[in-house]
Amino acid sequence: MSYTLSNILAVAARVLTQLRHDRRFLILALALPFVTVYMLYLFFEGVDAPIFDPEKFVMPVGAFMVHFITYALCAIALVRERTAETLGRMFVNGYRQVEIIGGYVLAYTLLATVQSLIVLVGLSLLFKLDYPTGTFAALYLTIWLLAIISIAMGILVSNFARNEGQVFPFIPLVIFLSVLLSGMILPTDKLPEWTRPASLITPMYYANIVVQALIKPDGALSDTWGLAGLIIYGIAIFSLATFTLRELE
Amino acid sequence: MEQGAAAIVVDNLRKHYGKIEALRGVTLSIHQGEIFGLLGANGAGKTTLIKSLIGSLRPNGGSTRVLDLDPHTQKRALRRQIGYMPQSPVLYDDLSARDNIRFFGRAHRIPNLEEEISAVLDFTGLREREHSPVHQFSGGMKQRLSLACTLVHKPRLLLLDEPTTGVDPKLREAFWAYFHKLASEGVTLVISTHQMDEALYCDRLAVMRDGVVLACDTPRGLLRRGRTTVRVTNGGSVESETIANTPEALPAFLQRYHLDERVSRIEIEEDTLEAVVLALINARQEDAHVVHPE
Repeated sequence: MSYTLSNILAVAARVLTQLRHDRRFLILALALPFVTVYMLYLFFEGVDAPIFDPEKFVMPVGAFMVHFITYALCAIALVRERTAETLGRMFVNGYRQVEIIGGYVLAYTLLATVQSLIVLVGLSLLFKLDYPTGTFAALYLTIWLLAIISIAMGILVSNFARNEGQVFPFIPLVIFLSVLLSGMILPTDKLPEWTRPASLITPMYYANIVVQALIKPDGALSDTWGLAGLIIYGIAIFSLATFTLRELE
Repeated sequence: MEQGAAAIVVDNLRKHYGKIEALRGVTLSIHQGEIFGLLGANGAGKTTLIKSLIGSLRPNGGSTRVLDLDPHTQKRALRRQIGYMPQSPVLYDDLSARDNIRFFGRAHRIPNLEEEISAVLDFTGLREREHSPVHQFSGGMKQRLSLACTLVHKPRLLLLDEPTTGVDPKLREAFWAYFHKLASEGVTLVISTHQMDEALYCDRLAVMRDGVVLACDTPRGLLRRGRTTVRVTNGGSVESETIANTPEALPAFLQRYHLDERVSRIEIEEDTLEAVVLALINARQEDAHVVHPE
């Protein structure tokens, strides 16, 4: 096994052991997506269909929930490593940026896998979504990819914060960009011209393109470039997070 | 083992945080196999110096060579050979003692890691609690575990920032015996401390204040900078005099009494290392308070 892979696995194993010991965190991290999906159901149940077409909105909103929860949890976890100085000790003991981020992404991916499943199953049961199995699988893949990208985004944001408090200003920024500019509420071609470039910097923009293509009758992954956009975005954000992870104090 | 070539060479090292100058031209040379102590109050620059040596801080000027490597451009090669123990026990509270050592040791690719973990757990007296989560540990136990994490890969150079804080006297003695054993095997140790009794165990000491090395000498050499007060009860009178704290000063002083039978009592009070260090630090403080004309 290569040295880098061995260290990535060591970081992932350590993060997972910590998660396993923090039962309250685990329960919250898994219950929160379900609670928000249920709240979404209650909300759409009370709204007239002519204003909102739940079918069109629930899946992107569900994807956004996974995106937001994973992003926030990961950002805070890594800032905590920095403030506790364990991040610095990792570096001194020979761990490198790519290994630390790779380990975090790997460990949180397991959590995100379960979260994505909870959201998808919750949405389909509550909203009685009737998609073919292939569409469900493609939707799951999209939400799962978005969750992994959210982990890297959380790490990227944490690189610019010195404490947990400094993570919070980034939270409304992500909500604003994702909710308003990704096209999940209003199509991007209806938005002001100046917002178009800003749409490109939120992963929800690409995820929404894929989701909207998939939920159309006979929709398939091959109909959209969104998944490729999401993957390229993910590689870029992972590289950026690795590049900006500060080793020096 | 005889002390060999320089393990650390620091020349005119400077570091500032904004307007605060943490290191103001520090120059030092530390030999292989030496136990080198850094003495000074909080904010003297000890931790900044140690962090510069391990490549965790980028200095603003000067040069540093550690084990013949540049800590900033060759940090990967350097970090395989060093062990750094931070001032506070930087550990994962929700992991067990063994898990903590395993995690920090694993990146060093130690062939028989589990055996080495058992050895450092035995040495630090934590073997019985190896599976307990660290949040159940006392401050002293965490300090011992932090040291265990630092030692597990058998580094050539140890940089220990106040390693014995909160450790009971018996274990502290065991730590110092172990440090001397390591030094005799050629391991270089840089230890920052507030404890003057511990400073006496070091081969050499650097006294720091305000980012400056005020003195760098052996403990005995530093003690020589102090004063000795001699009180001689001669007949009915007590004569008291302060002399230099050097081996030749006391016999020269006592010469004047020619073992006079009226001398019934001689009291000799040497300055302690603490007094010498405080005098050095205070002298620097007085210098700093001098208002320089514009």
